[in-house]
Amino acid sequence: MRFAGLCPGFLLTLGALAQAPDVGVPSGGAPTVGALAVGALGDGWSYRPLQRPAIPAVATGGWARNPIDHFILQRLEARGLQPSVAADRHALLRRITYDLTGLPPTAAEIEAFLADGDPEAYERVVDRLLASPQYGVKWGRHWLDLVRYAETDGYERDRKKPFVWRYRDWVVDALNADMPYAQFLRTQLAGDELPSPKVSDLIATGYYRLGIWDDEPTDPLQARYDDLDGMADTTARVMLGVSMGCARCHDHKRDPLPTKDYYSFLAFFENVRAYDLQAHSVPADGAAAGYAAALAEFHTAHEQSRTRLQAAARSAWQATSESARTQLSLVAERELLARFSGDRLVPTELRDERGAVTGKVRGQVVAIDGHNAGAMRFDGDDYVLLPRLVEDSFTVSFWVRSDQPGPGQADDTRWFTGAGLVDAEVPGIVRDWGIAWHSDGRLVAGSGDPDTFVASGPGYHDGKWHHVAFTRDREAGRITLFADGLKIGEAVGSTQSLDAPKHIAIGRMLPGGAGFRGDLDEICFYGRALTEEEVAAQALELPGGLSAPVVLAALPNQAGERAPLQEFLGLAGLRPPTMAVVEVLGVQENGRSGPEGFVRIRGNAHAQGASVVPAFPAMVGGGAAEVAPPEGDRPSSGRRTALANWITSPQNPLTWRVIANRLWQHHFGRGLVRSSNDFGRLGDLPTHPELLDWLASEVLERGGSLKAMHRLIVNSSTYRMASMPVPAAAEVDPQNDLFWRLDRRRLTAEEVRDSMLAVSGDLNLQLGGPSIYPLMPAEVLATASRPEDAWGQSTPEQAARRSIYVHSKRSLLEPLLASFDQADTDTSCPVRFATVQATQALTMLNGAFAQEQAEHLAARLRAGAADLSAQLELGLALVTQRPARAVDRDRLLGLASELQREFGKSADEALQRCCLVLLNSNEFLYLD
Amino acid sequence: MNPSNTFCGRTRREFLWQSGAAFPALGMVDLLSRDGYFPGAVSPQGANLRALDASAVSAGGENPMAPKTPHFAPRAKAVIFLFMYGGPSHVDTFDYKPALYPLDGKTIDIDTKGRGGTKKQGRVVGPKWGFKQYGECGKYVSDLFPHVGRCVDDIAFVHSMYADSPLHGSAMLMMNSGRILSGAPCMGSWVTYGLGSENENMPGFVVMLDQTGGPISGAKNWNSGYMPALYQGTVLRPHGEPILDLDLPKGMTMREQRRLLDTLREQNEAHLRSRFDDSDLAARIHSYELAYRMQTYAPEAIDTGSESEATKRLYGLDNARTEDFGRKCLMARRLVERGVRFVQIYSGGNHNDHNWDAHGDLVANHTKHAGDTDQPIAGLLADLKQRGLLESTIVVWGGEFGRQPTAEYAEGTGRDHNAAGFTMWLAGGGIRGGTSVGTTDELGNRAVDRPFHVKHLHATILNQLGLDPNRLSYFFAGLNQRLVGTEGAQPIRELIA
Repeated sequence: MRFAGLCPGFLLTLGALAQAPDVGVPSGGAPTVGALAVGALGDGWSYRPLQRPAIPAVATGGWARNPIDHFILQRLEARGLQPSVAADRHALLRRITYDLTGLPPTAAEIEAFLADGDPEAYERVVDRLLASPQYGVKWGRHWLDLVRYAETDGYERDRKKPFVWRYRDWVVDALNADMPYAQFLRTQLAGDELPSPKVSDLIATGYYRLGIWDDEPTDPLQARYDDLDGMADTTARVMLGVSMGCARCHDHKRDPLPTKDYYSFLAFFENVRAYDLQAHSVPADGAAAGYAAALAEFHTAHEQSRTRLQAAARSAWQATSESARTQLSLVAERELLARFSGDRLVPTELRDERGAVTGKVRGQVVAIDGHNAGAMRFDGDDYVLLPRLVEDSFTVSFWVRSDQPGPGQADDTRWFTGAGLVDAEVPGIVRDWGIAWHSDGRLVAGSGDPDTFVASGPGYHDGKWHHVAFTRDREAGRITLFADGLKIGEAVGSTQSLDAPKHIAIGRMLPGGAGFRGDLDEICFYGRALTEEEVAAQALELPGGLSAPVVLAALPNQAGERAPLQEFLGLAGLRPPTMAVVEVLGVQENGRSGPEGFVRIRGNAHAQGASVVPAFPAMVGGGAAEVAPPEGDRPSSGRRTALANWITSPQNPLTWRVIANRLWQHHFGRGLVRSSNDFGRLGDLPTHPELLDWLASEVLERGGSLKAMHRLIVNSSTYRMASMPVPAAAEVDPQNDLFWRLDRRRLTAEEVRDSMLAVSGDLNLQLGGPSIYPLMPAEVLATASRPEDAWGQSTPEQAARRSIYVHSKRSLLEPLLASFDQADTDTSCPVRFATVQATQALTMLNGAFAQEQAEHLAARLRAGAADLSAQLELGLALVTQRPARAVDRDRLLGLASELQREFGKSADEALQRCCLVLLNSNEFLYLD
Repeated sequence: MNPSNTFCGRTRREFLWQSGAAFPALGMVDLLSRDGYFPGAVSPQGANLRALDASAVSAGGENPMAPKTPHFAPRAKAVIFLFMYGGPSHVDTFDYKPALYPLDGKTIDIDTKGRGGTKKQGRVVGPKWGFKQYGECGKYVSDLFPHVGRCVDDIAFVHSMYADSPLHGSAMLMMNSGRILSGAPCMGSWVTYGLGSENENMPGFVVMLDQTGGPISGAKNWNSGYMPALYQGTVLRPHGEPILDLDLPKGMTMREQRRLLDTLREQNEAHLRSRFDDSDLAARIHSYELAYRMQTYAPEAIDTGSESEATKRLYGLDNARTEDFGRKCLMARRLVERGVRFVQIYSGGNHNDHNWDAHGDLVANHTKHAGDTDQPIAGLLADLKQRGLLESTIVVWGGEFGRQPTAEYAEGTGRDHNAAGFTMWLAGGGIRGGTSVGTTDELGNRAVDRPFHVKHLHATILNQLGLDPNRLSYFFAGLNQRLVGTEGAQPIRELIA
């Protein structure tokens, strides 16, 4: 208590340096909070059951609009203070429009509001804004800050998280749909364990994949627990306002949170499968049912063709003379250059069954029972090296079997991002080719220079044998990929000889790339491109093999039956059905029962202490969780569902207080509890505990509707107060702890950028989808370890979308957003900084984006008004969202004329400079 | 003309008074800092944020970047960290291992852990350079560093360093921020947070990158993590625009910009008039004056043109090979002269052999990187010394780890990463010259005698700056976070003169 009794005003002045050490740091002594008496709440206030306080009576009549105002006014009256006057209509419209949508009101919206004499005009504006999809963009950003949303993993490679933007869109959509808060949390925590999850429920579980991820950890077990800690710690802070992290290593020093409780909480997440750097395809809603039928139909049709063709081929083959057969086979198998299977595999060599070519085994390739006699089994790091057998027109065919998907990402099916099956890749753009096993059991193939690719649909990793053929016709430059005898697709590339590779690898991508896990059999190389019929004959294992089409073509027609050759063509026209799929970056678990959990002594993952089961922290009621796996045979434990049930229970004392506080925070600039991620003893006490509890019970009362809560809060008289100074009140309560006025605030980073785009007329309000890449200064790109690959490109229209859609890359930040205190994405960010720095001024004065926006604003003004004076009035009105004052206009007129007179600027240039001044004005960047 | 020392037409004192600030509080800064209280006060959890923000660039002592009184009398005021990104091989540079030469090419039993995983055996690559003794202390230095060799009497070597990770991504974060997990502030952030900057016209923490690009993880290596962006490193470039957006836009002159800023200030002051108690608004008005001054100041601060020819030669500016790193070293001297706290210069960028990461051909790699930097580093030490600046400036040399005594591949001289034992050196700022502390085993594989973790290096640097490494803290996520970790670390006493 060494600072008790100091004039509280010193906090305002000293700020950073002098935050009373007794507040918020564990240095001992009872906490003081602003003007609130110490000890009124006592320890552990937030863990006590939520009780709905009575609405206090107030002396002043006519001010209070709703119970919020009663709570605020009662405290003001007790200190002899009065609420400030109401904000004027311009200020109020500006405030509410930014607070609900993150954008300035448009001229039409201002006009409509001013013209609306109805006493409920403001309430109608609130309704309009809450119905706008831009509401979800604004409030989604608050949530993304909390859950440390970023679109890359960080660390050495800082890889993109595939399709993570769908999570961002899910958050925006959920808020726009006013999803009840309990459902909002439950879906993120355990949407995949719901009875019949929709795709959107799976997308919501992307919540678990947002954090930093070291794909090359020095200690994999420790890294696993770091990842789990990220999940547990974020969940505790964001949803419960409990700062748990320190209990990972030792019992919490101030809160009654022993290490055992931390690991019992961590156990809820311990069955979560480690991130595999992949999104997974899931059937689009409703697509699976139709697909199963279509697939069954396809299999029937395929099987029928096959049976009929086999029968026809058998009789045709038998009808052919021995010598003709030999001759046909010789012709058909001409240019069969080599054939490999497990039959002639020895530990160091793979011998061609025709005797000509020998491959070198690298590592240990095992012979197993195969599709036909012996096959070869590859376990990911072993492979066979062959000399380059083919280069011009050729065919490679083989049988493949695996029950594991390959590497790579579904949105990037270039063959060399997969695991090599038969591969002749050379890094860089050269004349190479390859066939690979890719994400979600896709077959992909391609050739380089220019890069040309063909990919199958997903699902070949079903543990069954599949026939694959890849043909290349040099004359046409055409490559074709076949699966199970059917053409998957073709592409046209180079007509050059593909003679760059020295070797062909079997079972691995050539230059040390990804290895295949699975089996290969009967790998054939031909020095010509087989026809579709020949491939089908081979895949259907027709008698006569490649000769079968010729023999069948010679078979006399029988009455009423089509020519078998036509059947080949019919078969070739048959395509496996495609299922509409969505690529989802979500959570998966390791099975229906989770692992046994342990305390990890001093946070060391290797040092197992006492055994733990999933349980809730004792300080918040505690108790072991009742865990049941979800219905069906889904490989999930149900632990996260149990956690979601507990967190979203109306009896949970923290959940509802925490969200009520966050809603307040983003309307009033600070939470009733300033430390909005920490309601524990190291956090701040609420300045208005009764109001907080009343709001929390109101969230429950209103069914968890956040929009209803916004309405309640922003319709209060408290929210509508002016922000102007009142010296007498500042004397009593300089920090505005009691809310005698509304605090002015700076625009957030995103609001700064979006507002510049809005006033210049460039802003593109398109919602959703993959992220965008605004122009990145070369100087910033140069800070990346691979400057040339560090950033993407968007069209100017796309680059002018709202900032929530700017690609969030952990190692490379957009400089304007970074400079205005965008959230750090490595840990949960409950409160943004709002610094004032000289580098911000430089960016806003000299930066390319500011210059461009000033130019576009000037063009808009020229188009919208005739003379300079009117143009400047329009500019002032756009930037401040109130009518221009003559004095402001004249100041800019003076500048414009001086720039022309003394600095030789053209009228256009002078206007542009005036626009730059407008974009730099405090009135633009601050909200009253 | 606008006198830059007034604040919206008022003196700072008037401003504070009118802002309703309690005046006696100004004296509290000093009081608090003597108590060692001020570090650790900023809370991003919400408390007093508005107050923090308001003061961020206001004109005087309440500015968090203003110089602060350290915990105790400092030996150094500034740090120049020469970061040899990629991991230089200690046994080929400063850690002389005679026993290693005769083993060249022999396969021995040895436990190593690197990029290639954990191994029990390896083929020794004997050191590829000879070592000579230098200075009064007789320190052995390899032929890669003949110029630095002549400075050994000013240098203290720590041969027994170890780190938590032998992989670049996490090891870089550890050397820069003390943790292998991303998200913590870097050492330069801690130093500017603890001490402020002595020159408000320049950033307090600057980083100069290699011509080939940044290190892996880019900005994470100079990021302020959970602290405000105010404390993050600013990238400074030797050519072109020195700081992002510092140059005037095309067609604009300083005089014209001044005219623009005058209009802006008038406009903002008119806005402030009815909002007179908002120090954020006032601070933002001031920030434009600072920005304006920085535009003149920063280019001058890094302009090496005015240096004598002898000085330029000292740093190797007359040699195409050493010109780039030499210029950065010379810039670093000019910056610390002007009160910049923490300067970090990267030798090596991008990937593979663009930096010290010699997996393939050790000889070619280290010949290049040492040759590019040896003379500039020696020039920097000599120049700091002749100007009396070495007494108050710590120069740190080293990478994120060292390299193994054995080969990575079946052929060639390349060495894999080694975090179990490596060398860093320090000079100046009260560091005892001519000293060597700790040893690795006779093959240079692991630190055996007096092993020191990265956090001990950090603790030593903070200590020399007058900051108690175990008291310099920042409250975040329920913990008093420290650069040296929650368990703390003591400085390496043997290094301190």
